[in-house]
Amino acid sequence: MKHIKTLSTRDLKESMKKGGCGECQTSCQSACKTSCTVGNQSCEKAR
Amino acid sequence: MVHQYISNGYHIVLDVNSGCVHVVDETAYRVIPFVEEALAQGLDGAQEIAAYAAKKAAEGGGSVDPASLQETVEEILELKEAGMLYTEDIYEKYIGEFKNRQTVVKALCLHIAHDCNLACKYCFAEEGEYHGRRALMSYEVGKKALDFLVHNSGNRVNLEVDFFGGEPLMNWQVVKDLVAYGRSLEEPYHKKFRFTLTTNGVLLDDEVLAFANREMANIVLSVDGRKKIHDLMRPRRGGQGSYDEVVPKYKKVAESRNQMNYYVRGTFTRNNLDFAEDVKHLADEGFEQISVEPVVAEDSEDYALRWEDVPAILEEYDKLALEYIRRKKEGKGFNFFHFMIDLEGGPCVAKRLSGCGSGTEYLAVTPWGDFYPCHQFVGQEEFLMGNVDEGIVRTDIRDAFKTCNVYAKEKCKDCFAKFYCSGGCAANAYHFSGNINGSYDLGCELQRKRVECAIMIKAALADEEKEKAL
Repeated sequence: MKHIKTLSTRDLKESMKKGGCGECQTSCQSACKTSCTVGNQSCEKAR
Repeated sequence: MVHQYISNGYHIVLDVNSGCVHVVDETAYRVIPFVEEALAQGLDGAQEIAAYAAKKAAEGGGSVDPASLQETVEEILELKEAGMLYTEDIYEKYIGEFKNRQTVVKALCLHIAHDCNLACKYCFAEEGEYHGRRALMSYEVGKKALDFLVHNSGNRVNLEVDFFGGEPLMNWQVVKDLVAYGRSLEEPYHKKFRFTLTTNGVLLDDEVLAFANREMANIVLSVDGRKKIHDLMRPRRGGQGSYDEVVPKYKKVAESRNQMNYYVRGTFTRNNLDFAEDVKHLADEGFEQISVEPVVAEDSEDYALRWEDVPAILEEYDKLALEYIRRKKEGKGFNFFHFMIDLEGGPCVAKRLSGCGSGTEYLAVTPWGDFYPCHQFVGQEEFLMGNVDEGIVRTDIRDAFKTCNVYAKEKCKDCFAKFYCSGGCAANAYHFSGNINGSYDLGCELQRKRVECAIMIKAALADEEKEKAL
């Protein structure tokens, strides 16, 4: 495309079908403890 | 739902429901809302839609080149067809099912010591005491907590236990004994413990470091940045600063862990609205994993962030983002926790809806074995959920947290960042609005900015990769 470049992203709709295993890290256990930061967590299956 | 913004010269379009991120030229940026309007009005075909967009652009006092416009509209329609733009929210209709899900416990925050050897002014734990008395967790209580976790985690394999406080190194032998006990449970129960430690560094020594490097998946090291900033807010009980005592030790931790699986973590307050300088300072000191976060404090505190500070804070995040990119490009990069966003391998929708898991998947355990929804609720008796002997007694509290998600929160419904913060911190929402389904508006404003910066950084670094490849 000439006018639009799309960054590579996970399709959230697709993840609806296969996601939810719950093995990923709990967000507050990483560093924050004062805010909810979920977008930077990695999917355990995508590792 | 589409969110558009310009940052660092990039015209960014986020298609919220699919998670797609598009970097577009000025023409596309301008006409994307017009095309959405045209589609809503039932217009069909690139030509007809382009004519509508041209008319709308002219009404707004501008013009666009017709040839380029037609081409742009075709590209936009192509993305729509591919489910990458103007995507509908398909998740809300599943929310009833989601609320009825069976939850298991997979993470505990063990308050190993309600005591501290520092007297940090902004401490939500009130120097470790959490509105209560000083206490250390016994091995027996900790053991029961780990047993509870194993028996209430269903078929989850990965279990997380954070040794938290107060200052957990004030009860170090119990930490070590609990790690050994946890390891002994792994094989028989087919579990894997990920232990983490959050410390202020005062009691950190070679023995602690060797053990932590062997057993701890992550260490969070508290430091606020520049010495004068750190010492102002993180004094010892006698008033002396703690920077000189802890930073050399932290450097040792970072090096011995090969600059991975640790964070130096600070808090910025009204005293250092130029917090980008603190982040840069930590990077200059050789730390590569950095988190510096806004203080959450009562409005009455003189260091609390105020609405009037917000423009300066947003500008500071912009400055930090540019510095972040510059250093990455020069090969001297660092990670800033709140700018990290995993667009490709990030969480699934289920995770984005369940948020931090407080009160359901994640519980805090006091030194005497009481359960609270998370560390931020400890000491607030109305949130006491149960204990290590009886398990979860107040299932009503668990159920309230289970239904807490972006669709339950009025202010999240139209927010573009909802799938990145998952509705934010329930404790902050409660403390500022009186309801876990409310919101902490100032925090939301900063969160949105961080998401915008994080996505812009991805765009800038993708550009860099492309240039390198040529």
